[in-house]
Amino acid sequence: MRVLVVVPAFNEEESLPAILAEIRARAPGVDVVVVDDGSSDGTQAAARAAGVPVLALPVNLGVGAALQTGFLYALEEGYDVAVQLDADGQHDPADLPVLLEPLAAGRANLSIGSRYVEGSSLYHAPFLRRVGMMLFSALATAVTGRPLKDTTSGYRAYDRGVMALCRTEFPQDFPDAPLLIQVARAGFVLEEVPVSMRPRTRGQSFYTWTRSLYYPYKTLLASLVLLLRRPPRRIGGAS
Amino acid sequence: MTRAQVLAALLTVALAIGVVELVRRRRLSEEYSLLALVAMAGVLIVAFWTRGVTMFTHWFGALYETSVIFFFGLVFVMMALVFYAVKLTRLTQEVRRLAQESALLRLRLERAERRDGTDGEDGR
Repeated sequence: MRVLVVVPAFNEEESLPAILAEIRARAPGVDVVVVDDGSSDGTQAAARAAGVPVLALPVNLGVGAALQTGFLYALEEGYDVAVQLDADGQHDPADLPVLLEPLAAGRANLSIGSRYVEGSSLYHAPFLRRVGMMLFSALATAVTGRPLKDTTSGYRAYDRGVMALCRTEFPQDFPDAPLLIQVARAGFVLEEVPVSMRPRTRGQSFYTWTRSLYYPYKTLLASLVLLLRRPPRRIGGAS
Repeated sequence: MTRAQVLAALLTVALAIGVVELVRRRRLSEEYSLLALVAMAGVLIVAFWTRGVTMFTHWFGALYETSVIFFFGLVFVMMALVFYAVKLTRLTQEVRRLAQESALLRLRLERAERRDGTDGEDGR
């Protein structure tokens, strides 16, 4: 199984070297690509210094489009699985085998590193954020018919079938609940696995307070609109 | 002709000249100029065919001609805004796709250049 770790990065020059070194040390068998989402700092240089190829977006497109760029690359280069891993150090590369296991075993097409399932380390989110997460978890669970506790986790593994679907159909701004709903509606199997989330090493949370208002609106709307569309058709991929 | 009608006519002519001039300088595409010209034609009709407006107001069941004009003016503006939002969305999607393609091609180019042993800046 050829695995590509996609690291979307927007102005992450400080945290990038550590996480890239960690991936290399903990998961030597996987390839890595950094998607530089139009950073204005030395993100690209930091990745190149670590010997990692860079997909350099000329403008800032947002985390969803950056991830999609990684998928396009993985599809072109013939990878079986793409893993989404944040550049800020929240995701532990040591959890990669746990994340990849459902795909390798052929049980699932998309696996989600979850903070909430049995066995994951404790994760303390602010109260309002927890309420929002519960809302989207309930929505995703209702729509997909599968228990999904952590829709906002950005630590996920995708097989080629899911990536092929994402080539054309992709929620661009926040690839969280809407993405999971869409993938499930296309007939793919999702599975959550327990992982630990670490406090970010550097930089700000993606979820600033203005976004904390816009995010629920946008995500809810995107999720509901998905239900009005006809389910996308699966294109290949393991079952 | 009332003063209001003269004013409407002058304004419309000035706007029409402005729009045509923008198209001539390629600052505005013909596609979008059509919307502006249709709107001006509407203003002229409403300004000069007052009998028609009155008739329509009665048929529509409104009390005042002005409210009918404002109502349809607003509807027109709303539709124009939605039209532009749709255009913007498509443009955004296209730009995104192109940016992604440029990132993919750039990485390929870097690799090809490294394989050839050139750095791409030797003035080939």
